Amino acid sequence: MSTLVTDQRRVSVGIGQIAVSTDPTDVLVAYGLGSCVGVTFYDPGTRSGGMVHVLLPDSEGRVSDGKEPARYADWGVAALLAELTRRGASRASLVIKVAGGAAVLGPANAEKFKIGARNAEAIKEQLKRLGLRVTAEDLGGTKGRTMELHMAAGRTYVRTAASSPTEL
Amino acid sequence: MLATAQRQITEALSIVARDGAVRAGRGLSGLMGQEIVIHVPNVRLGTKSDACDAVGGEEQVVLGAYLSMAGDISGHVMLLFPERRAFECVDLMCGQPIGTTVEADELALSAIGELANIVGSAFVNALGDYAHLVLHPTPPVLLNDMAIALVESVYAEVMAQAGDVLMIDTIFEDHSGETAGLLIVAPDPECISLLARQAA
Repeated sequence: MSTLVTDQRRVSVGIGQIAVSTDPTDVLVAYGLGSCVGVTFYDPGTRSGGMVHVLLPDSEGRVSDGKEPARYADWGVAALLAELTRRGASRASLVIKVAGGAAVLGPANAEKFKIGARNAEAIKEQLKRLGLRVTAEDLGGTKGRTMELHMAAGRTYVRTAASSPTEL
Repeated sequence: MLATAQRQITEALSIVARDGAVRAGRGLSGLMGQEIVIHVPNVRLGTKSDACDAVGGEEQVVLGAYLSMAGDISGHVMLLFPERRAFECVDLMCGQPIGTTVEADELALSAIGELANIVGSAFVNALGDYAHLVLHPTPPVLLNDMAIALVESVYAEVMAQAGDVLMIDTIFEDHSGETAGLLIVAPDPECISLLARQAA
């Protein structure tokens, strides 16, 4: 299945960044999530959606300087929710997808650092704290993932270096 | 303060990289039965994007290996090749015409692991000797993934405070040609001041 059409505008969501959109031609993309976690929110009612690309699990009380508003799971999830509700999205109808949190540096290092697993856990905890439920997830493993949110229909796709995109 | 320390380390690592390249070249020549020369034309600080650009872009599939440094200081060493370049290295190592290897099969992965082991260990040992530190490289973990997934994972571990990693461009050359890879070195942040002091 191809997820590319010619009139799409691909918006790269870099590490620690957030993107929101109401433009049906936009495709929000987080390239090569390793231990990072990508989160997409989509509200079918307003056709608005967004994505964050989270690097680390916990800000431990640090305050964002705005350069990397989604550097930490707690910053990123709260910022994405705030941006979308500000645009009129209904938090009760958000479709929430989560991907990433892999251990790409091998199982021994995964055991030592656990960043990927901790990121995944922190995202889910933060969502729960905000009363939000994950609709679908693709977390863990040992391979990097690219995550895309297609604003045209609010669909989220995930692919790896070795696999074609699958809808999450 | 941190920027000064990073600059001192970059200057020291230029010397270390040249020494490491000589040692690695010697090791590879012995392994391959022909003279392999390694050049390190650049030692520079770069962002995550710079590191990915050096191997062909964020989604470029790369082959390589990861070693961690332990001992007096800790850190991360990663050798990455764009897939095509990795295959050229395998051909050089196996003494076969460039273009023979076309997939990341067991032989190719094993060869790249050995290459990374020699190059990474040579660099870590050269660094230890230069800075009078006891350093141990861990056995290499083979990598075959999108460049950004690997680079960002090292960033997440290191939390590079200045947002940069040290990048060492590495050219491998034998009598018939050359190929290129990228060596990324990221000391853990708490070790940077000690490394700068030792390197001064």
